[in-house]
Amino acid sequence: MEELGAIKKLNFNVCMQCGKCTGSCPVFPKSKLNPRRLMLETAYLISPLTMHPPLNIYEKSEIWDCTTCSTCSYRCPREVEPMDVIIGLRGLLLEQGRVPSTLGDALEGVYKYGNPWGISRSKRSDWAQDLKVKYVSEGEKAELLYFVGCAAAYDSRAQEVARALVKNLNTLGIDFSILGNKETCCGNEVYSLGEKGLFEILVEKNLSLLDQYGINRILTTSPHCFNAFKNKYGKDLAVQHYTQYFADLIDKGKLKFPQRVEKVVTYQDPCFLGKHNDIYDEPRKIIESIPGIKLVELNLSRGRSVCCEGGGGRMWYDIPGERGRLAETRVKEAIDVGADILAVACPFCLLTFDDAVKTTGNEDKIQVMDIMELVAEALLSSNEQVI
Amino acid sequence: MKELFVLAEHRQGELRDVTFEMLTKGMELSQKTNADLTAVLLGHNVQEFAKKLANHAKKVLIIDDARLENFNAEAYQRVLFHLISERKPSLTLVGHTAFGVDLAPSLATELNLPLATDCIDLKFEGEKLVVIRQVYGGKVNVKASLRKSDSYILTLRPATFEAQETKPQGGKIVKIASPLSEDITYKRFIEYFQPPAGEVDIATADIIVAIGRGIKDTENMLVVEKLAEALGGVLACSRPIVDKGWLPNDRQVGTSGKIVKPKLYIAIGISGQFQHISGMKNSDLIIAINKDSKAPIFRTADYGVVEDLFKVVPSLTDKILEEKH
Amino acid sequence: MNVIVCVKHVPETAEAEIAIHESRKRIKTEDLVFDINEWDDYAVEEAVLLKEKLGGSVTAITVGSEDADSTLRKCLARGADKAVRLTDKAFEGSDSYAIAKILYKIIKDLPFDLILTGAQAGDDGCAQVGVVLAELLGIPHVTMVKKVESVEGHVKVNRELEGGLEEIVEAKLPVLLAVQTGINEPRYISIMGIRKAMKKEMKVLGLKDVGLTEEEVGESGSWITVEKMFIPPVEKEAEILTGGVDEIATKIVETLRAKGLI
Repeated sequence: MEELGAIKKLNFNVCMQCGKCTGSCPVFPKSKLNPRRLMLETAYLISPLTMHPPLNIYEKSEIWDCTTCSTCSYRCPREVEPMDVIIGLRGLLLEQGRVPSTLGDALEGVYKYGNPWGISRSKRSDWAQDLKVKYVSEGEKAELLYFVGCAAAYDSRAQEVARALVKNLNTLGIDFSILGNKETCCGNEVYSLGEKGLFEILVEKNLSLLDQYGINRILTTSPHCFNAFKNKYGKDLAVQHYTQYFADLIDKGKLKFPQRVEKVVTYQDPCFLGKHNDIYDEPRKIIESIPGIKLVELNLSRGRSVCCEGGGGRMWYDIPGERGRLAETRVKEAIDVGADILAVACPFCLLTFDDAVKTTGNEDKIQVMDIMELVAEALLSSNEQVI
Repeated sequence: MKELFVLAEHRQGELRDVTFEMLTKGMELSQKTNADLTAVLLGHNVQEFAKKLANHAKKVLIIDDARLENFNAEAYQRVLFHLISERKPSLTLVGHTAFGVDLAPSLATELNLPLATDCIDLKFEGEKLVVIRQVYGGKVNVKASLRKSDSYILTLRPATFEAQETKPQGGKIVKIASPLSEDITYKRFIEYFQPPAGEVDIATADIIVAIGRGIKDTENMLVVEKLAEALGGVLACSRPIVDKGWLPNDRQVGTSGKIVKPKLYIAIGISGQFQHISGMKNSDLIIAINKDSKAPIFRTADYGVVEDLFKVVPSLTDKILEEKH
Repeated sequence: MNVIVCVKHVPETAEAEIAIHESRKRIKTEDLVFDINEWDDYAVEEAVLLKEKLGGSVTAITVGSEDADSTLRKCLARGADKAVRLTDKAFEGSDSYAIAKILYKIIKDLPFDLILTGAQAGDDGCAQVGVVLAELLGIPHVTMVKKVESVEGHVKVNRELEGGLEEIVEAKLPVLLAVQTGINEPRYISIMGIRKAMKKEMKVLGLKDVGLTEEEVGESGSWITVEKMFIPPVEKEAEILTGGVDEIATKIVETLRAKGLI
């Protein structure tokens, strides 16, 4: 019960059971997941008192339903951080091997192959084969490291984002390199799933890679990788999400768009960029700088944005529910505000929304695009593709 | 003259196909090596089987004993130990089946005879017996030789050698007294058990869309299910999907599941281990979608797509729905 | 119930591309990931489930080089109490029969009620070791096991036959059971669990310790010897549809339409 010790260190005993967490939890309406109740139960778990009826925390499989969107922690008036308690509880269940099999497979995939899909390492940089990139792993030095991340490295739809990002950097003449097949999972989802031991291994591996290749600055596709490097590695790493990096270029006058994109665009704040890291303005700055684009806000945006249900391991664990997926509701909202394009800045949002557009039959009404793809469209005309 | 044994396999009143496959291969070998092809039949009240076997072999040795009515590795081993020690056949062929894998290794050990299992081909090179086996799930073949001996045991992969009709051999049926003197006590057959059937019978479906290990999570299963729906077919799978508990075992295609012969079989994310292939290879039209261009499934399929199934399947579903409208 | 589980450390090849080594006697393994043989993983889980229900101990045994320690550690983390690795240069080239002899030599002196193995291994697929081992030990065996129930001095076992049929068999203890995949749901093994398992007992023994001669193991002690490995010849090959995803989908639809399937 080492995990219990970790939970004890959390601040949940000041919880006053106000229920803001449960009230704001996006998953609660479709799942048994009830953060307020879990805070109470955790208090019993570490106290000598027993609950009536007795509590069996290991039976609470809804602990795996959490997307770690952090809305509960964000809204808590007493800084209890229910999300961290849930992650701690996951660790407790994991110790007993009580984890849904698809999540177990994802974790094993990370351990054995360096990615949650368990795809061969030798295929990690296939997406970049025909692109101009430097491989730091082959001694090609560059000032900036582009950390691709598992989704953008392996998922065919998300690969398009990595490709767009590389083309954009090349168009702007920015010197960068990638780790190629040496790259390994950042561990953000591993951490969120409570697999601390595996997360420690990944931290060690990645830090030694950065050290080995003398890397000083990191750019990520995914807010999840960004979050891991920035907040979970216990080191002051110079890491930026690409939205920060490109917003910076705009500020410095280094990024101007020759093409117009005549579209109404709305934007989904990714949890790991927004609520977790307070990055709300940079993505909007990029979108608004593209000539022709009209940015409309979703009814719930910025800190109140609703999770796509792709975080916290939920990419590998689907919970059925009569209410459907949150991404489906979100796509309908985007159509309601009159958007032609639902812009995202996270590969998980991209994948869950892409699916949701299809499952709700809205392919002809709205399109999901990553901000990097919008930038690529505004930077290049179709007949002058830079690779 | 030397004998070449083929051990007849039967269950619930029927001789199993693998028996005739082995007899066909055995006939070819016996002619080459100048041995008498001898079918060995253990059972109880199995005269009818003996008559059938006599059409395919020079000789049928029949050992009738109530204790041999249902397969029991222990009882079979005692009888065969006796028979092989006494008659020293140059080779004994056993099916690589649930029956054969339970019997052959312990029999060979007791007899101290070399054994190779799950062979897909065999030949004598002089006195040396050489076999071909598959390893790494059918991705690699091995040519292996057996330690020199005057008698060998092999288990042969079912549905690999074609059973051919030959002119009746008019084999002599020879009854041999059962050497079993005492009851079999260590291991007892109790009964057969047929797990209850679900609502869908894949064996009668015209269109089957089957999934395998390449499906990484249950969400992707829904994507494939939509394809099956669009085609008016049913969803089936290979073993790993049943092992994960994602589909009930009556949806499993293969030797340990169902043998199917639909008009259309689409294999998605299935690498094509022989256990699966033998369950679906007689389908009229087979289309395989797999990321690994070297997957064995492409050696059985009529059409192949080397692509990410998550890309191809939704697009295919859309096109089929369009076509139907 | 004291249970011994025999396990094997094998490369994962289900989704990997495989190349033959220059010697043509083995495959190239540099790019492959090794783990416990899939069938054996179910066997270990079954052993631990039985221990949790009936008490007793679980000992995991493997024959293999130092690399196989990670597989043993996984067994210990899953709930095995002890692990033994049998290793010796002389063991190289051993087939299933020779491996079973090595295992026999060590297991014959250990106390046990039950031995579990996987029904086969994902690399050579011989499906022999368990059954040979049982014969050497003079105990009964049941292969293709899908379900185990322990009844006073016996086990009642479901065996998987062909075509979805099962057979129920009773066997006296001690017995060896070779288990089929799907018999249980192997639990997730956390890294923390593996680290904790480092404290458990792990023995390493060689040729002399088990009391065998060089002739009895390796190629000389084997039934079969690999002459060469090769990629299976292509007898028939699917027509590979190429082009973009849309193009491929259109080609398939055309084929289906031509055959009257839609």
